[in-house]
Amino acid sequence: MTARRTPLLALRQVSKYFGAVEALVEVDLEVHAHEVVALVGDNGAGKSTLAKVVAGVLTPDSGLVEIGGEPATISSPSAANQLGIASVFQDLAVCENLDVTANVFLGQELRGRAGLLHDGRMEVETRKLLEHLTVRIPSVRTPLRHLSAGQRQAVAIARTLIGDPRIVVLDEPTAALSVAQTAEVLTHIERLRELGLGVILISHNLNDVRAVADRIVVLRHGRNNGGFPASASHEQILAAITGAV
Amino acid sequence: MVGSQSSLREANRARVVDTVKHHGGLTQVELAAATGLSQATVSTIVKELVAAELVEVRNTVRSGRRAQLVTLAHRVGLVAGVLVGTRHLTVAIADVSHEVLAEQVLPLPAEHRADTSLDRAALLVVDLLERVGSELPEVLGIGLGLPAPVDASSGQVTVRGILRGWDGVPVAQVLSKRLARPVFVDNDANLGALAESTVGAARDVHDALYVRAGHGVGAGIVLGGRVHRGVAGTAGEIGHVQVDPAGHICSCGSRGCLDTVVGDRALLEPLRSSHGSLTLRDVVRLANDDDPGCREIVADAGTVIGGVVAGLATSLNPERVVVGGVLAQTGEVFLGPLREALRRRTMLNQVTPLEVVPAALGVRAELEGALALALQSTDLLERPDDVQARVMTGKGSQ
Repeated sequence: MTARRTPLLALRQVSKYFGAVEALVEVDLEVHAHEVVALVGDNGAGKSTLAKVVAGVLTPDSGLVEIGGEPATISSPSAANQLGIASVFQDLAVCENLDVTANVFLGQELRGRAGLLHDGRMEVETRKLLEHLTVRIPSVRTPLRHLSAGQRQAVAIARTLIGDPRIVVLDEPTAALSVAQTAEVLTHIERLRELGLGVILISHNLNDVRAVADRIVVLRHGRNNGGFPASASHEQILAAITGAV
Repeated sequence: MVGSQSSLREANRARVVDTVKHHGGLTQVELAAATGLSQATVSTIVKELVAAELVEVRNTVRSGRRAQLVTLAHRVGLVAGVLVGTRHLTVAIADVSHEVLAEQVLPLPAEHRADTSLDRAALLVVDLLERVGSELPEVLGIGLGLPAPVDASSGQVTVRGILRGWDGVPVAQVLSKRLARPVFVDNDANLGALAESTVGAARDVHDALYVRAGHGVGAGIVLGGRVHRGVAGTAGEIGHVQVDPAGHICSCGSRGCLDTVVGDRALLEPLRSSHGSLTLRDVVRLANDDDPGCREIVADAGTVIGGVVAGLATSLNPERVVVGGVLAQTGEVFLGPLREALRRRTMLNQVTPLEVVPAALGVRAELEGALALALQSTDLLERPDDVQARVMTGKGSQ
């Protein structure tokens, strides 16, 4: 592994307006391989808007998006997938009535020659993915409604790994989880990093963010308000979030 | 005998036990799904295992329905081990036979604070107990390890600045008040020494040193089979031995301590320009993958640490040096130079030459030590009878 001067993903001077609302104003963001970049800020600071721009849900009004050093347009979520970007949003978008395998391969099912589903292969793949992430789920045939909130989050994270993405966007993955479940999800994030992926982590919880992030980017009123290494103190980051500096 | 009925049943039985061990606690339905065995087979095997006192079954609720939770048999009672590291918190629940029933790692922020981290440790203990179908009253004691010298009676860090955010906190009192269970605190290297000298690589010798090389460096001293702590718990704190009189100022206030030369920050900084932002675990992984830069960093650290351990070995004349911590996961990359430095600087005696071996428990030594501390500090004869009664109520399946 040598120096990676070219970021996997770079947003340069990206702006997004909703009428008079300045959701993002000339925001810069870089994510390298093997790196967890945390995005923190107050409610309405533009974190989720930025995540949606990266995921292809929203198109920026101005600014440049580069992927692997090349200018790119993320016009839709499926375009984002093609470019190697996978996202997990707060609602997870998992199907309660389907089992773990079906959820992991939802919309990306493996099919044979006659268009039949490769159930066996998908199950094997799912088991392998969960093992990679060190996820503890008794059976891949369990319907999602029988799993804990932490295990569902793990399934949603495992799903992003289908199709070998290079960048994973996680929006509030530890919200409303117990400490043990938070511990599991944070361990999965460490694992994604070890697998060499670039991770964008959005969270309100500075403790969780500082535990796993390599860098912390603060947004305030849709603008960049400082970038910090993981060793920065709680107070420094809080000051940037609240605008005290 | 391959393929015979009895060997098949034996294999299935082992599979059920392994699966229960991996998940902590599972209902019989989940167990069938996880092992791929039929529910009838699982039910029969569980019955056999209950009779053999290997597993226990208790009533629980899953998705609103009554179910049978299968866990490993908790012999007599449980203990909890809590290991606070620089960047990770590990909590484990074990029974008195030292069998780990459940374990969880939680990543921690740099310079985490006692209030938040102890709060999370307490909640994790309760969560893990729930995972194995137990409750707090079954816990006989909790052993806790800190990466700093501590006062054994209060659990307070005895040297200011080494573990910022934990100064002046009576750790044992805070946690035992929270969980209403006895809490015993020691330094992490001492716990590693305790585990390695009781069940690990130094169990057959009386005098040994345990060296822990990870985010910081520490040593545990075993003399006459007992861990020597010193009056304020600072015995073996080799991370604060001066190696560079013109070096950086250390967190302890002194200058050029070993930790400022081979602590995680000092090891990662020279790699930043060539390798980018790495963690210590990345460095170990890359060194094992033959990355020359990372191997160099790890080997040089081994030489420097070996030089300091040599001083300790000359003063105490141990029979064996056991090396643990994450750097030891690189094997001879780290151990080779450390052994060489020791050999060059220690007086070689003709009777029993000093041995340098990797920790038998690997990176788990400190956590196992925390469990061992809780077990040793709790008098099993004093346990309340209701604990015994509760454990014995494991009912049959169905």
